[in-house]
Amino acid sequence: MKAGDEVLQGRAGTTACLLGNLAIVRGALEAGVQFVSGYPGTPASEIGDTFARIASEADVLFEYSVNEKIAVEIAFAASQAGARSLCSMKHVGLSYAGDPISTIPYVGVGGGMVIVSAGDPSAITSPNEQDQRHYSSFLFYPVFDPATPEDAKNMTRYAFDFSERTRLPVLLRPTTRVCHTSGMVRLGQLPQAKNALGFEKDPNAYVPIPANVQRMRRELSARWDLAEQLLGESDFFSHTGDGKHGIVAGGVPYAYLDQVIRELGLESDVSVLKVGAYPIPESVLSEFLASVESVLVVEELTPFIEDTVTLSAYRNRVQIPILGKRTGHFPEAFEYSPELVEDAVRNYLQLGARAKRTLDVPELPPRPPVLCAGCSHRTSFYLTRKVFGKKTVYCNDIGCYTLGYGEVLDSCDTVLCMGSSITQASGIARMTGERAVAYIGDSTFFHSGLPALVNAVQADDAVTVVILNNYVTGMTGFQPSPTTTPHFNIEDAVKGLGVHTVLSANPFEEDLALDVLKQARGGTGVNVVVFNAPCVVNETKLGTRMDRPAYEVDQVLCNECSLCVRLIGCPAIFIEDGRYVIDQELCDGCDLCASVCNRGAIHALAPVSPVK
Amino acid sequence: MIEDASNNGRHPWRILTVGTGGQGVLTAAHLLSRFFVARGHEVVSGQLHGMAQRGGSVQSSVMVDCGISPVIPEGKADFVLALEPIECARALRFVSSRTNVFMNTAMVTPFVVAQDQVRNRDMGPPSVQELEQAIASVTSRLRVTDATALAEQAGSIRTLNLVMLGSLFGADLLPYRPADFTDTVALAEENRRAFMSGVTWSSVLS
Repeated sequence: MKAGDEVLQGRAGTTACLLGNLAIVRGALEAGVQFVSGYPGTPASEIGDTFARIASEADVLFEYSVNEKIAVEIAFAASQAGARSLCSMKHVGLSYAGDPISTIPYVGVGGGMVIVSAGDPSAITSPNEQDQRHYSSFLFYPVFDPATPEDAKNMTRYAFDFSERTRLPVLLRPTTRVCHTSGMVRLGQLPQAKNALGFEKDPNAYVPIPANVQRMRRELSARWDLAEQLLGESDFFSHTGDGKHGIVAGGVPYAYLDQVIRELGLESDVSVLKVGAYPIPESVLSEFLASVESVLVVEELTPFIEDTVTLSAYRNRVQIPILGKRTGHFPEAFEYSPELVEDAVRNYLQLGARAKRTLDVPELPPRPPVLCAGCSHRTSFYLTRKVFGKKTVYCNDIGCYTLGYGEVLDSCDTVLCMGSSITQASGIARMTGERAVAYIGDSTFFHSGLPALVNAVQADDAVTVVILNNYVTGMTGFQPSPTTTPHFNIEDAVKGLGVHTVLSANPFEEDLALDVLKQARGGTGVNVVVFNAPCVVNETKLGTRMDRPAYEVDQVLCNECSLCVRLIGCPAIFIEDGRYVIDQELCDGCDLCASVCNRGAIHALAPVSPVK
Repeated sequence: MIEDASNNGRHPWRILTVGTGGQGVLTAAHLLSRFFVARGHEVVSGQLHGMAQRGGSVQSSVMVDCGISPVIPEGKADFVLALEPIECARALRFVSSRTNVFMNTAMVTPFVVAQDQVRNRDMGPPSVQELEQAIASVTSRLRVTDATALAEQAGSIRTLNLVMLGSLFGADLLPYRPADFTDTVALAEENRRAFMSGVTWSSVLS
């Protein structure tokens, strides 16, 4: 049974082992979700992927939106038309949607609206770590903060109703250890009926012109108060244990704490308040503070709970020690670990230090991510650098092609955020007077590269934008991109934006590709090179891969000059006992190694290898 | 012979499966989860590393009746199934003298090694013997074999993860027999052969 099926067909009352992201999908289904949008981003991607698979069976309208701003806007519009709507993205995606999300609470939702913004403490797959809990006090978003997949399901289920009662959009903020952990989830009933749909005109209610905003702002405070009151009546602030030593914990660290307390047998020594949502109702905090003589706050990232607890203590004239990040008991950066939480608890209860040990491990070579064997990006980078040289500044972007970074391909001098490669190339070209190159993939180009390209055209910047079109959003798991749509022509789109020189080539046709790059290098103003070549992994997945033979090294001709390893960094090429060899299981037959070999020592095997 | 019956029936269990992207580490963890859930246990399972990419380090945990925490604490793995020896050594912080380690000796050389070699920065990865010694210095409950060869004999290198699962059930350290697994989780013939060759390997040692 596929995961998607289980999420839809699991019977109420039974318990299933669900990935956190699938638990969120189940919670939304139990709440009768009708519209789902999103933009893929680790660790949130499986939410959209699952809805993509089950949408029609679940009677849900789903779209992968072009970017997160659009995902939020269209989910909000669906909510205005009465639908329960959900949209999913990663933390940086929510920042991209900053404009619409800041006004939605003012206008208010119709059908319940839940934004899932997955957090990535330690920035495992992101350019930064962020604490989205601040959106609660910053933009009037009630935020739910699950510790487990079961929490994530229950919170999502609850959030839709809650959103309709308060007319506030709700933020669900699972982190990597919730999204990508499978845990036991008790399944609830799927609904018989869903919200009635229809848009009733009422411009006074829907249009935030200043005359209306004054009223909306006042109503917003009242709705926020209602949200706090409802949360105070909810199950998301459980108080367990006993004793004068208080601990307040939220998110995944609560799960670590739970384990530490049981392993150390502290159930009757500590009094634990689990925080599952924000704003933390004042009634919950004042009651807890009155019952303990000290508090340790256990939370990842910023001291958000800690500061709230400290303020509450001040307001309630409770003078007790409040320990956490501000007092040096926990670090502010990066995700926690069971050991970190155990050490802090031991320190807090003066239990003595954990037994430490030293391990004698030989130095182990790392396995950093690398472009796949046969990836067209490798060929595109290699050829572009051959024409533009090593002094040119290469601005890169967010996608698999960020792996142009490093000494081998050396094709990634800057990265900032989605779509920024074009803008950074513009700024650098304008200030240095030298032509700069921007690399951007198809999905990222349509996500946020479009306005950047228009900006460059307006200023007539000396930039060459190399669009690496592989017809898919590869890095996050092969979601469709606009160029996946049949007959969609990226070159026409670029011409329509006012770019006069739009060149395109298949990077595997080396002569043509080099010719195109030379024209771009010699050009003036903005020009665009579109490299069209399907993602080899996606091709294999889809079964559309052309039969390409693997390559081998002729050991008689090879003089071990090392050029093939030095220049292209293909993971299929190894050195065994001084000999250069190609792993024929990994080799995809792209021919790049053969083309860089001065000795003609690398050649295709007879085309007998089956389609992988 | 490895003298070890103390883990027999010990409960709960924390099982760590490690290897490189493409070897089937996540599938192995998923099959284990399915088995234990089907047998009425509560399972929490997760990836300990970031991106599971072909050729990358992959660590996946399966915790049975251990509560809600998604991460195995240091030194608290009961079993380590290592599909690759470098990755086995990388997981050593989860190992204690009580941990049973099943290690495949067939190394998957990291791609960076060739880069280091041509730039004269490194003489290559540690040998399998060095890795084995490092692990043996922490636990004597270490079982090693060329499981990749067993997988090839079973029909395909892709069945390596089933060989390793077989080794776990063949060692007689869980209150479940190999047949319990194959009765619960439907396996294709090739996978079944691989599973049984793992069973044979570890039951001979135990």
